[in-house]
Amino acid sequence: MPRTIYAGQGFCPGAGLVDSAEIPSFPDAADLMLKPFDNPPIEELPGLLLLADGGRFEGLLFGAQGQAEGELVFSTGMSGYQESLTDPSFAGQVLTFTYPLIGNYGIHAQCSESARIWPRGVVVRQAMSCPDHRDSLGSVDDFLRLHGVTGIQAVDTRAITRRVREHGTLLCVMGRADDERALKRRLEVLKAPDLEDLVDEVSIDQPVLLNPGFRGPRLAALDCGIKYNILRELCRRFEVLWCPPDITFDVLVNEWGVEAMFASNGPGDPAHPGKATNARHTLAAAVASGMPTMGICLGHQLLGLASGLTTYKMRYGHRGANQPVLDLTKKTVAITSQNHGFAVEDPVRGMLAAHPSGANSGPQENMIGAEVSVSHINANDRTVEGLDVIGLPAFSVQYHPEACPGPHDAAQLFDRFSEIVSSTLRGDAYSST
Amino acid sequence: MPIPRRDDIHSIMVLGSGPIRIGQAAEFDFSGSQACTALREDGYHVILVNSNPATIQNDPEMADRVYIEPLLPDVIRSIMEKERPDALLAGMGGQTALNIATDLAHAGVLEELGIELIGSDLEAIDAAEDRDLFKKVCESIDLPVPFAIACSSIDEVLSAATEIDSWPLLVRPAFTLGGLGGGTVWNTGELVEIASLGLRNSRINQVLVEESIIGWQEHEYEVMRDSADNCIVICTMENIDPMGVHTGESVVVAPQQSLSDADHQYLRDCALRLIRKLNICGGCNCQFAWNQATGEVRVIEVNPRVSRSSALASKATGYPIARMAAKIAVGYTLDELPNPITGEGTTAAFEPTLDYCVVKIPRWPFDKFRTADRRLGTSMKSTGEVMAIGRCFEEAFHKAWASLEYGEPHPRPLTRADESDGEGMAERAHEALPESTLVEWLRVATDRRMGALLEAFRRGWSVERVHEITRITRWFLHHFENMAKVEKEIGDYIGSIENLEGYSLRRWKQLGFSDAHIADAKSGFPKTGWKNLPATAGESAVMTRRHQLGIHPRFRMVDSCAAEFAATTPYYYSTYEGSEESGIDILADIEERTKERMVVIGSGPIRIGQGIEFDYGCVHAVKAIRESGRDAIIINNNPETVSTDFDTSDRLYFEPLTLEYVCEVLIRERAHGILLQFGGQTAINLALPLESRLPYLENMNLNLRILGTSTDSIDEASDRERFELFAERIGLKMPRGATGTTADDVRAAADKIGFPVLIRPSYVLGGRGMEVLSDHQQLEAYLKEAYLAPDIPLLVDEYLGHAIELDVDAVCDGQDVLIGAVMEHLEEAGIHSGDSTCFIPVQTISPQMVERVHEQTRAIGLGLGIIGCYNIQFAIQGDCLYVLEVNPRSSRTVPFVAKATGVPMARIAARATLGVLLKDQTIPEPRTDLVCVKAPVFPFIKLTGLDPAPGPEMKSTGEVMGSDPDPDVAYLKARMATEVPVAAGGGAYVTVRSADKENIVPVVRELLELGFKVHCTSGTADVMRRHGLGVQTAYRITERQQPDALNLMRKNEIQFIINIPTTSGGAVRDGNMMRRLAVELNIPFVTTLSGGKAEVSAIRAQRRGPLIPQRLKVTYLKD
Repeated sequence: MPRTIYAGQGFCPGAGLVDSAEIPSFPDAADLMLKPFDNPPIEELPGLLLLADGGRFEGLLFGAQGQAEGELVFSTGMSGYQESLTDPSFAGQVLTFTYPLIGNYGIHAQCSESARIWPRGVVVRQAMSCPDHRDSLGSVDDFLRLHGVTGIQAVDTRAITRRVREHGTLLCVMGRADDERALKRRLEVLKAPDLEDLVDEVSIDQPVLLNPGFRGPRLAALDCGIKYNILRELCRRFEVLWCPPDITFDVLVNEWGVEAMFASNGPGDPAHPGKATNARHTLAAAVASGMPTMGICLGHQLLGLASGLTTYKMRYGHRGANQPVLDLTKKTVAITSQNHGFAVEDPVRGMLAAHPSGANSGPQENMIGAEVSVSHINANDRTVEGLDVIGLPAFSVQYHPEACPGPHDAAQLFDRFSEIVSSTLRGDAYSST
Repeated sequence: MPIPRRDDIHSIMVLGSGPIRIGQAAEFDFSGSQACTALREDGYHVILVNSNPATIQNDPEMADRVYIEPLLPDVIRSIMEKERPDALLAGMGGQTALNIATDLAHAGVLEELGIELIGSDLEAIDAAEDRDLFKKVCESIDLPVPFAIACSSIDEVLSAATEIDSWPLLVRPAFTLGGLGGGTVWNTGELVEIASLGLRNSRINQVLVEESIIGWQEHEYEVMRDSADNCIVICTMENIDPMGVHTGESVVVAPQQSLSDADHQYLRDCALRLIRKLNICGGCNCQFAWNQATGEVRVIEVNPRVSRSSALASKATGYPIARMAAKIAVGYTLDELPNPITGEGTTAAFEPTLDYCVVKIPRWPFDKFRTADRRLGTSMKSTGEVMAIGRCFEEAFHKAWASLEYGEPHPRPLTRADESDGEGMAERAHEALPESTLVEWLRVATDRRMGALLEAFRRGWSVERVHEITRITRWFLHHFENMAKVEKEIGDYIGSIENLEGYSLRRWKQLGFSDAHIADAKSGFPKTGWKNLPATAGESAVMTRRHQLGIHPRFRMVDSCAAEFAATTPYYYSTYEGSEESGIDILADIEERTKERMVVIGSGPIRIGQGIEFDYGCVHAVKAIRESGRDAIIINNNPETVSTDFDTSDRLYFEPLTLEYVCEVLIRERAHGILLQFGGQTAINLALPLESRLPYLENMNLNLRILGTSTDSIDEASDRERFELFAERIGLKMPRGATGTTADDVRAAADKIGFPVLIRPSYVLGGRGMEVLSDHQQLEAYLKEAYLAPDIPLLVDEYLGHAIELDVDAVCDGQDVLIGAVMEHLEEAGIHSGDSTCFIPVQTISPQMVERVHEQTRAIGLGLGIIGCYNIQFAIQGDCLYVLEVNPRSSRTVPFVAKATGVPMARIAARATLGVLLKDQTIPEPRTDLVCVKAPVFPFIKLTGLDPAPGPEMKSTGEVMGSDPDPDVAYLKARMATEVPVAAGGGAYVTVRSADKENIVPVVRELLELGFKVHCTSGTADVMRRHGLGVQTAYRITERQQPDALNLMRKNEIQFIINIPTTSGGAVRDGNMMRRLAVELNIPFVTTLSGGKAEVSAIRAQRRGPLIPQRLKVTYLKD
């Protein structure tokens, strides 16, 4: 059956897994809609989306009144807008959905990937005002309004997508059509969100044990902007310590006694000197120590950096639910969910599908004392989609095996990791194949 | 990387799907053609078998060896023995091909001949087809199926009903085409009736009695899998009609709209688990029922092959499923195949993502079959479908509606005229449809339901109320409500069309309102129709204003990736977008393009009278244009066809074939020429309106020529009065005729000509409303139902009794005429030519008469100034040659002629149209060593309420061809290919009208010689006995004596029926009932004397020994 829907609110990944009174609970972005809220009809307020390359798109504003700005990206998933809107990896960005009808099935309780909406603005062809689903709490417009995020609709999202495809991701602002001059001025001074410490913005500050007493190895989930469903998947297999990105490996081992390490997805440039770099150090120490380690998305890029590979900004990245990933060992293809704008360079082929700006991390120091091999590549553009650390129980993937949104083809990766952790803890010799 | 193409097989037999019929239409021409091309480009030797002459698939260019032979296991076996293929690919020919493959596999033939079944294997097919096995498969992977019990007898059916204990129940027969013979039953009586029929129709004598999931949502997943276990979902589809209506009969939307990502991923997982468990390599279609209120799921069925849905999925996404399935069948894996849409750098192993909405609407034949039962259920009734693409649901839906060609290109308020089925339309147009009728039209799924939805919202009904009645998902209802709301907004708009402001107009266009629709709505949908609106308020006024404001559609590429990659597919749809750019969306790089651009208008949905033959013509026209070094552009809206395959033409526009949509494409392309003669009546009907718009287009810098026959000549050929004058002028004889616009006119005309008369409306498509009337009484009955209006007169013709009818297909270039073939009809004049069985070469006509036919054909072509192809129907009565009709376009017999004679008429005609004179073309000599027979295939089994007898009104959906040196054997092959059996022996039932009683004597004598026991009605029996023939007497039902004919049929004592009906009296109903039963019991029957004679010779030919398959030896010479 599909995901069980609870009547209640919040995110409580330990629920039902352990017999303890102290299972912590966290807000879900849709919680705001469980309480009564006023629901004014969508006003037809003319809006404007301006792109750094001079692109100008007229539309109608929806969601919260105001302006929005950020890096314009597009996602090609046809469903899963709620999961995408609440995916912390979209922090700093303005998200365009290529599918024109967004909001068909409304917003559902306990289907968010975090406590809030992360994109700074949302661009759609049509925001459906009459959602239809048994679990719907309200419309996308309601959701954006309650979270103070501005959206623009009735714009030609395909033309926007084509522009981003051709020019690479670019900066944009949106707001009321009659504020055009102010919007233009704002666009002129707008700085790339990649320069901000986005990981700091999206991650928690204090470590929390999610399922205390779970009968499984204790795992540190390094939060760089972790999606709730990753925590759900991890909690089914481990006793999970959800911890901030700048926690040190020593603290994790000595104070918390963790036995395995996980580095999450997250927004922005993996080489950013802020908390992403803190996380890289913690991750590197774990890998170097022989601790079983898994990385996803930003976590994968951090592993790449830690192993001495360069990361770089992609032209327009991979965002959607249909990215084919080729497993180089098994020679099979999985259809995966992805959301990333940076990639790890291929040691042989180099920086494929790079952004015209050429932005990259430059040469990096190998902090793990081992070499990595490319385990997966994207079947379309051949970019790196997975790394195995040679001789150590550590691997990472660029895509999202936890899905949400997207297909479940790669879900067995969590099982694979669980097996690696068990066998490492048993003291079995590790073989990366 | 070494390409893993299998090199242990070299030759592959591909099976087609046979004739076009309800439940199996042109989609297999398209998938089979793709498969053949895919295999041949890899160097495989392809042997193709298909009985349908009208397809592109079995054109000599498509395969190395082509057999146009009956798709029967024995025939296929003998072709296999002759050709010795290494492998058999059966998944491209629908259920027909799959059934043959399983028959041959189970009989051990494949093993004996060392032929491997590639694609889906036998186990997979069996598991998907056998309901009981399938249920076990589903249960083994924890997928819920509807609770059901397989039954092989009525007793088992009844106990199953007791066990399930909830009504309604669903009865589903195993192994049938298009769900034939199943249905929803509400009580024991209905259960017994439907289940008995189902048991008979099932090839394995099995039906399933099942819990009903009526009212649930229906979702489809098109899945592909390769031998490395890579699985992808090509497309999801959601039916607007809830469960209970066959998916082929449902209005379908892609991608699915109302499922959350979690819901969708769950169903996706289910679909992948199914294809993996069934071990299917290639394409497969999974259908699920979804309870929106609870999230419960049931697996409905899996088709382990390409299907109608996969054709739709291919066209909806741009992903060529059949091509990929063929590649997978020979060992390729998806990741090693380049994505044919996005080209190098991307792989076929990815899931298409859409940035538009697709709507498919089935095309039903109820506009022609007024008496047929219109209710839609678990068996199919539609003959074809249309698809449309838009950026929102409303736009896609409106475009799909415009593509249907039911008469009105946009929905109008319903009136009692819509209810009347032709009777008294004009008066009733002033009365609104009663509310009770509207409720009924919403409650019971019929072809009228979509119009009823809009009508309900027009009347202000709430979404909840309509949902209560229809169970249609509210998401869709909200959109229908929005259409009605905007329609009202247009009606309420203050101000004239010439002052329409851009914001409103753009918004209406974005919702898919056509110019005509806007004009019509703005004028309050006048009863006199939108075509009669004054110039300032009409369609062209809206267009003019729209163009003034620079509002033109954007043309978007169907690229399978939502613009993520720079695709190269030349496959477009139009949509109205926001305001970033305005003005004309001119084709990219138009200035650099040096090639002339020629537009071919397609033929729209497959319907009675306009079948796949016209698609065949369009494809040839495209090939001729491309060969000539020009760009060929096609506009069409039928997702099942080869013409809408994106690599057939240089550019494909998936659009409604209305003046507005066609013109916008012409403007965008800055087209140089347009070809109208290949797309059947659809395209020809555009000729006059398009010509009147040419000056306007010229003002927009468009120097467009309508190529081929001029519109004036088209009109001269089509307009009865003008053609009569023409015929008189050049000395042709025509049956006497007259036209009438009032009932009195018609009566006077009939009196003047004398009964029997042939009566029909003008500008016919497939003989709509054509009937033979033998007296005043019948005339009055006809007039009561006929729709008479000043612009739609009725034609009354002298009826030529006992005349032989001929069809001629020819090409004229203005100087010379090429006659493709003269075809002799088996049936005498009076049976619609589309429904006739015809022979090449002629069988009973003297060479002198054939020469006269040739002469007149030349005279007509040159006299009318035809440029391109034309078709003439002649009748010979005694020594007289009459011209019945001239069609200044490609005809339905063109592909038959091409395959029978080796003269590719459509290609030659297209070249002539482009200005290449016949004398400058290389034209192969017609081949005459075989007799070729074309026979019609009828939809009687699918359409109850329709008299199962051919007549002047066309009823067939498709045709088959048989060829052999012996005409009797050729006929036998064609007959066998129709899938109605040819009797081997047993009992025959003969009942003929008085006029033919003497004539039938030799036929009955021959039947007796062949060992048949012959039963006759008393009148016929008397005559037979007078001639010393020992026949049995059987009674009519009305005579209430035993044995009656129906009883004998039910007792399996009748294997063949000759029934030449009278057209009046008690025998009419009797004959109708008997023919209906014959259809249901699959007993062959003929309704003409000549048919009886031919059938008897076929029976005789059948006894002479096994059929010898004839390879199609024609090849088309290239210039």
